[in-house]
Amino acid sequence: MKFPVWKNLALIMLAAGVWLAASAAPAAAGDGPALKVTLHPPAGGLQMGDTPNFLGVVTNLGRQPAQGLVVYLSLVSLAPGDEHPVDLEDWSAQKALRLDRLNPGASDYRPWGMRLIAAGKYGVALTVVDPRENRPIVSDLVPFEVQPKATLIAGRVLPVALGEPLFILLLWGGMVFYSFRSYHKQKEEE
Amino acid sequence: MNALLPLIKREFQEDFKASRGGVFLLLAALVLSAFAVLLVSNTELSLLDNAQAVYLMAGIVIALAALVAVIRGSDGFAGERDRETLEPLLLAPITGRGLAAAKLCGLLCSWLALFILALPYVWAVGSAGQNLLPAVQYLFLTGTLMVLLFGGAALALSAKMRSFKSVLSLGLAALLLLGSPMVLGPSLRQSAVGRMLDLANPLAAALNTLDSVIIDSQGLSWQLARLTIMGCYSLAVLWFLRSATRRLEP
Repeated sequence: MKFPVWKNLALIMLAAGVWLAASAAPAAAGDGPALKVTLHPPAGGLQMGDTPNFLGVVTNLGRQPAQGLVVYLSLVSLAPGDEHPVDLEDWSAQKALRLDRLNPGASDYRPWGMRLIAAGKYGVALTVVDPRENRPIVSDLVPFEVQPKATLIAGRVLPVALGEPLFILLLWGGMVFYSFRSYHKQKEEE
Repeated sequence: MNALLPLIKREFQEDFKASRGGVFLLLAALVLSAFAVLLVSNTELSLLDNAQAVYLMAGIVIALAALVAVIRGSDGFAGERDRETLEPLLLAPITGRGLAAAKLCGLLCSWLALFILALPYVWAVGSAGQNLLPAVQYLFLTGTLMVLLFGGAALALSAKMRSFKSVLSLGLAALLLLGSPMVLGPSLRQSAVGRMLDLANPLAAALNTLDSVIIDSQGLSWQLARLTIMGCYSLAVLWFLRSATRRLEP
């Protein structure tokens, strides 16, 4: 089967166009900063009251330095049927920071600490916003589970709760008894 | 000053030697004990973060302080009038403002006793957690401002009104009115109206300060606006008390 010349020409032009487009796309990406963000969970199990650090890494894979990056942490509760965003203020976590400059090929390693105040299943992710890009870059969601722990120790609370009213009662009773006795003593003397 | 000291001593004796003072201290201890036992006996509450438990305990102490200030402030002049003991007091070589100052000192002594009483409870629920020392410091500060505010206002009203019951009803109604936005919960209070109410409400300012310090670990700079609001209210109340006791009638 033979193709006419004009069809061959058209095929060659189409192939050249595809090749040009394919080669031009990575070049455009390489010109600006291409960011990659990852978040690593702490090793071992987590329990209420712990203050683990999640290691966040932001890497500039592009050829240009990235400037004015905003990096922030997001925490969500993944309890089945009760999924909701968690207010990081209550978890004493660092919520966001600004990276002034990230050179090509450089990485910013940073621990993101938080205080685990409630038991349950959670997910945490790190987001980077580059002011020159219209799409934020989000790390993979890191799921983790916080095991419950009784933070209020009965051995410390109960002695106070039972002892203090008893102490006041005894003190007050003693004072009443003392003044009653002094009053009667004074009356007897009179 | 010479006449003021015996009056302060009298207030102090009424607070701690008379049965009224003993009953007050015992009731306050029982309320705090009941709450502490509830915290450890309830499975869900026993899992609360220590800071959250300290905040709840501090909130109860503030509410108790405000309640006691209203009751004692209402009794300040109107109660004396009801018992017909105000007239002999007015014969003492002291001005009405001096009398008000002595009564206010008595109120602050009551608050100090309540604060000391509450310390072991706050320690028991929060010693393993964070921000215990700032919690105690801010509890003292906000509690003192609340006692000045509610106690001073009740004292001023009791100087103007004739019956203890009327002053007490008015004081308790005001306390309930100011305390009711707390029932709304944090999400409703985040709205514009909720924020305005919170800003204008001294009781909310006190509780929000404790929340911010104990749970959110925020420093003094975050508290300045709320502390200023509470301070302004307290100064206004003290000015009202000063003018209300300029001329006391038996």
